Amino acid sequence: MGLLILPDINFLEHTLYSTSQGPVTPLDLIKFIIILSFSILLSRVLTIYLRRSLKDRVSKDVGEPILKLLYYGSLIIIFIAILPLIGLDPSGLLLAGGVAGIVLGFASQNIVGNLVSGCFLMFERPIKIGDQVEINGIAGYVTDIRIISTLIRTYDGLLVRLPNQQVFTTNITNIVGHPVRRFEYTIGIRYSDDAYAAIWIIKDLIDKEPFALLSPSPSVFVSDLGESSVKIVVRIWAPVSEWFGLKTRLLWAIKCTLEENGIEVPFPQRVLHIKTDSGKKPQELENLKENKFEENEDVINFEERVLN
Amino acid sequence: MYGYYDPPFSVEQEGISISVEKTGDRWTYRRTLGKDEVEKLILGDRKRIIINPVEPLNTPKEITPNLLIEFEKTLLLAGGEKKQIFLTFPVEVGVFISDNGNKSLQLLDVFTLVRQKFTLYGEVSNGVVCKHWKSRLYSVSPLLDPLQEGVMELTLRNTSSDWASISKAVFSAYGMKLYYDGDVFMKARMDILNRNTAETGFELQPINGELKGALVKDRKIRKEAFGVYGLRKLGFVPLKFYMGWGF
Repeated sequence: MGLLILPDINFLEHTLYSTSQGPVTPLDLIKFIIILSFSILLSRVLTIYLRRSLKDRVSKDVGEPILKLLYYGSLIIIFIAILPLIGLDPSGLLLAGGVAGIVLGFASQNIVGNLVSGCFLMFERPIKIGDQVEINGIAGYVTDIRIISTLIRTYDGLLVRLPNQQVFTTNITNIVGHPVRRFEYTIGIRYSDDAYAAIWIIKDLIDKEPFALLSPSPSVFVSDLGESSVKIVVRIWAPVSEWFGLKTRLLWAIKCTLEENGIEVPFPQRVLHIKTDSGKKPQELENLKENKFEENEDVINFEERVLN
Repeated sequence: MYGYYDPPFSVEQEGISISVEKTGDRWTYRRTLGKDEVEKLILGDRKRIIINPVEPLNTPKEITPNLLIEFEKTLLLAGGEKKQIFLTFPVEVGVFISDNGNKSLQLLDVFTLVRQKFTLYGEVSNGVVCKHWKSRLYSVSPLLDPLQEGVMELTLRNTSSDWASISKAVFSAYGMKLYYDGDVFMKARMDILNRNTAETGFELQPINGELKGALVKDRKIRKEAFGVYGLRKLGFVPLKFYMGWGF
C-alpha cells in the first residue's frame, strides 16, 4: 500500500508572474476583479440614486453629463488605484501611455475621434438632451448624448444613432436654441378686397393669441401684388415651445375670420378679354379649317390686322 | 370667492362656478368659466378646499416663471432716491385640496379672468420669455376687482447717481408672496443698480398659524395665499430677478 505525498501548494498564492511591484498571484487577480466589479456596481447604484434625487431639482440636460462624468471619472480613478494589485505601476502608465496612445490612436482613430467629439459636445454643449435639432438631414429630439454617439428620436418615433464625430463636425440646426422663433404665412386676398381691413383683422387675431409675442412685435403687410391675389405677409414671434401649435392653429383662424368678414382667399385665376368688334371674324376663322395649308399665311395676317 | 371651504359646497361669482359634491362614495369637483369646464374626482374624505389667488404664471400654460409689468407711463427717478408706487398685476385663481391641517396641499385647478399675453425680455438669442401685463401707476393703493387684478406696492430705489428712466419691471414667480382679503396684494422692490441693470424681489412676511402669515397694511390684516410655485421644493432657484437688458 503506497502513500501518496502531495506537495503543500496553495494555488491562490502561486506566483503567476513578477513585475517591479513584486510577484502577482491569482489572489491578487481575484482581488482586482472583485474590487473593479464592486466599484462598477457601486458607481451604477450611486448614479441611479443621484439620478432619482436630482430628477426634480436639476434639468436632464445638466444632470446627465454630471452623472456620466461622476460615473466614468470614479471608475477611472478606482481602476488606476488598483493597478498595483496586478503589478502595474500607474506612474509607468504615463510613460507607456505616450507610446501606446500613439499606437492606439492610429489603430482606433474613429473610436477616439468619437470619444473626443463626445467630450467636446458635453462641454461646449451646442445641443442638449431634450433639444429639437436637425443634424445631417435628421430632425428630431436629442434623447441622449453618450461618450461615443448621440441618440436622436425623430418626429415619427424612430431612434437614430449618430457617431459623435459626425455630430461635431457637421452643421447642427438647434431648433430650440433660442427662447423664441419666428414663423411666417403668406395670405392672398382678392384685388377687390380691402387690404387694410384684412390687415386689421389679422392683427386683431394675433393680439388675441397669448403665445403670439408682443415683443418682438408681429408684422403684417402687403408684400406683393400677385397674378391672382394681393399677397399679405404675416410674421409672428412665439416661444419655441409653442410656435408649432400656434402656427397650425392661427392660419385656419385667419382664413375663417377673413371669410366671415367678406374677404376671400381667391383661387389662381386669369382674366380673359374677348374682343367681339368684328362680326366677320368667326366666319373667317371657320373658313380657315377648309382652306389649304398654303393659305394659312393669309389667315395669320388677318388676325394681326384685327389685333392692330 | 377666496377662502376655505368644507365639501359639499357650491360658490358662484362673476361667471365662475365652483362646486364639490358627493357622488356615491367619492367627491366630484366641478368648475365652469364660460365654455371652459373642468371636472375632477376626489377620493378621500375630510378634505378641505382652498380657493386663493396664485402667481399669474400658470395659465394658459406654464411656460415661464417671469412676469413683466410694463408701466403705462415712463417713470423718472433721480439718483439715490427711494420712492414707493402702486401697480396692478393680473390675478389667477388657484383651487387647492388639503388635509384639514393644511398639510400636503395639492393644486386642483387654476384659471383666470384676465387677458393673457407673453413677451420677450432681452435679446432674441438669450432673452427671457415673460408673461406680459400693462399697468397704470398709482400713488395710493387703487380699488380693484380681486378676481382679476391685484395691487403691487413697489419700492423703487435708485442706488446709482444718475437719473433712471423706468418703463418696465420683471419679477420671478419663485419669490412671489400674495396676500388677500377683499383685495389681492403683493409687496415688491426694485433696486436700480446702474443705467441698464436692476434687481427685483419680493418682501417676505413671517408665517403665523392658520393664516400662515399676516401682513399689516393700512390697518388691514391679509391672509397669505398658498402659491403654486411655493409648493415646489426646488433648490438653487433664485428668488430675485436680475434685469440685465434695461428697464
